[in-house]
Amino acid sequence: MEILQYLFDGFTVALEPMNIFWVTLGGALGTIIGMLPGLGPATGVAVLLPLTFTMGPTAALITMCGVYYGAMFGGSRSSILINTPGDGAAIAATFDGYPMTLNGRAEAALAMSAIASFIGGTIATIIMVFVAQPVAKFALKFGPAEYFLLMVFALSATASMSKGNVIKGFISMILGLMISTVGIDAQSGVTRFTFGILELQGGIDFLVVIIAMYALGEVFSTFQSLKEGKKKMQTKFGRIWITKEDWKRCFWPIIRSTPLGFFIGALPGAGGTMASLMAYNNEKQLAKNPDDFGKGEIIGLAAPEAANNASSVGALIPMLTLGIPGSGTTAVMMGALLMLGLQPGPLLFQQHPDVAWGLIASMFIGNIVLAVINIPMAGGLVRLLAIPPRILYPIVLGLAFVGCYAISNSVIDFYLLVIFGLVGYFMHQAKIPTAPLILAVIVGNSMEQSFRQALTISNGSFAIFSKSTVSMVLIVLTIISIGYPFLKDMRKKKATENA
Amino acid sequence: MNLSALTAVLTLVIGIIYSIQSYNLPRATIGSPMAPVYFPLGLGVLMAIFGIILLTQSVKRGDFKGMDNKEKGLTYTGKLIAYTCFVSIIYALIFEEAGFVISTILFLGSILFVVNGKDQWKTNTIVAVSFSLGIYIVFSKMLGIILPPLPFLYI
Repeated sequence: MEILQYLFDGFTVALEPMNIFWVTLGGALGTIIGMLPGLGPATGVAVLLPLTFTMGPTAALITMCGVYYGAMFGGSRSSILINTPGDGAAIAATFDGYPMTLNGRAEAALAMSAIASFIGGTIATIIMVFVAQPVAKFALKFGPAEYFLLMVFALSATASMSKGNVIKGFISMILGLMISTVGIDAQSGVTRFTFGILELQGGIDFLVVIIAMYALGEVFSTFQSLKEGKKKMQTKFGRIWITKEDWKRCFWPIIRSTPLGFFIGALPGAGGTMASLMAYNNEKQLAKNPDDFGKGEIIGLAAPEAANNASSVGALIPMLTLGIPGSGTTAVMMGALLMLGLQPGPLLFQQHPDVAWGLIASMFIGNIVLAVINIPMAGGLVRLLAIPPRILYPIVLGLAFVGCYAISNSVIDFYLLVIFGLVGYFMHQAKIPTAPLILAVIVGNSMEQSFRQALTISNGSFAIFSKSTVSMVLIVLTIISIGYPFLKDMRKKKATENA
Repeated sequence: MNLSALTAVLTLVIGIIYSIQSYNLPRATIGSPMAPVYFPLGLGVLMAIFGIILLTQSVKRGDFKGMDNKEKGLTYTGKLIAYTCFVSIIYALIFEEAGFVISTILFLGSILFVVNGKDQWKTNTIVAVSFSLGIYIVFSKMLGIILPPLPFLYI
């Protein structure tokens, strides 16, 4: 019952009027950014970071979570209405959501996606209440060797699970680690890779890299689509709600997809995209008429939406309890927390229970707020989709520069912003995933430090990395995560050869 | 040479240069002299290995045969990106001297003029001015994040 007491305390924090205000503001702004094609939760959190700089850690975390959720809710608005997913995780919502709009059922689609997201998010938060503390307690036993291996596992899983070429995922990861080695080495005082530039001695700020990749890089990539004409969009809606029959049919798919989404979200590397696609395929296999999927079947919208939001809650688990983000968005949030002087990880729950539990409680409230924003107010909000991206994208650029200056108070970072923005664009073109790089930039330093701490403890013997059971499990998991995609490739090749 | 071949070459080159640079890092004066070197050196070597793997894949696919002719000159996107970067550098140069509001109006305005079109100059101006003023008021006056003030007036 200790947990319920903590949760109750958390609610007293989350229900403070200012915190409710922040979660609402974050949710609304996040929804808007999430609706923009190409810009997802990671960009939303990155661009809106400066808002949180003057807040306390609790308020900052609550606001960022609002943005994160909002972007998840918002991403599917544009999927449903204009067949353009706001981000990868909203792709599954185009499969049946857009056909529903074409069939004249846009209202039901918008309502169902919000309801499914709400239920998915709320149930996932309940699971989190019971999972977070035990995981954090377990992680307290980790020494530097275990931590190093845990980070290796998180990074390699993220790299190998990213779409396309696995090697490109690893290249992205190493590039990120390389960026993190710039600056004065904390243990020996040696200056590394600063090229004589004084400003680089403190290292490259990961927030600058994040904003560059997610704001500039993504906007550069969307420049391509600017020339295309604007898509026509339905702007007049009836009552945005669902029928009783819709509800009955979707109830179990939503309940089934939620734990699936939560679990996948909590795995490093696998995120909302994978969760929602898996939920979609699951329901398609379970359905009586699988042929209806893709033609406006409401279950095909409800299931992935529930899984998607559940996975966004699950993704917070490794970040909050272990201090190791498993996705781009949670990496950005962790970066912001570090800047506020708060180290996420097992100690967070011991030393700052008000922050940890305030956040969890605010997730319940955030879900309610977003359901309100996205159902009764959806008609007005989606009108923003009618504002041409040609105006919105330059504004995102402007926000990126303001945010960058707010971080460091130095224009030197503007140049870094442009350079990494171009790197991000090039990676996008070369189909190199950016999430492993972002993760690596954030954990890079502590990864190297714990590697060296472990070696110092063992007097330079590498045996320390295989001493404990936890280490062995992590090593095995790492090998599996690296080997799995290759195995899958080989099996595919065999299957095509046999066919 | 197409993009994936270029990626392979770049990966290899970055790997090699980074490895050499890591090896040439100054040695630590306290503790093990090689301690600050191991980690980056490992990264560089791994990067180079991945570069070689990508390169062999590229060669097998025949990425190097036949030059792409369509990449003559910059595409529309390329030009837009080059322009944005140019404007951003000018922005960085004048940001502290001209103050946030003026420099941002110029920055956003010049991007909007190209991205959104000259005929929309009214919208562009309104957006650029209201964004700059709005952000300045919210950040400097409400959030307490200091942005460079207007020159001479200091407001």
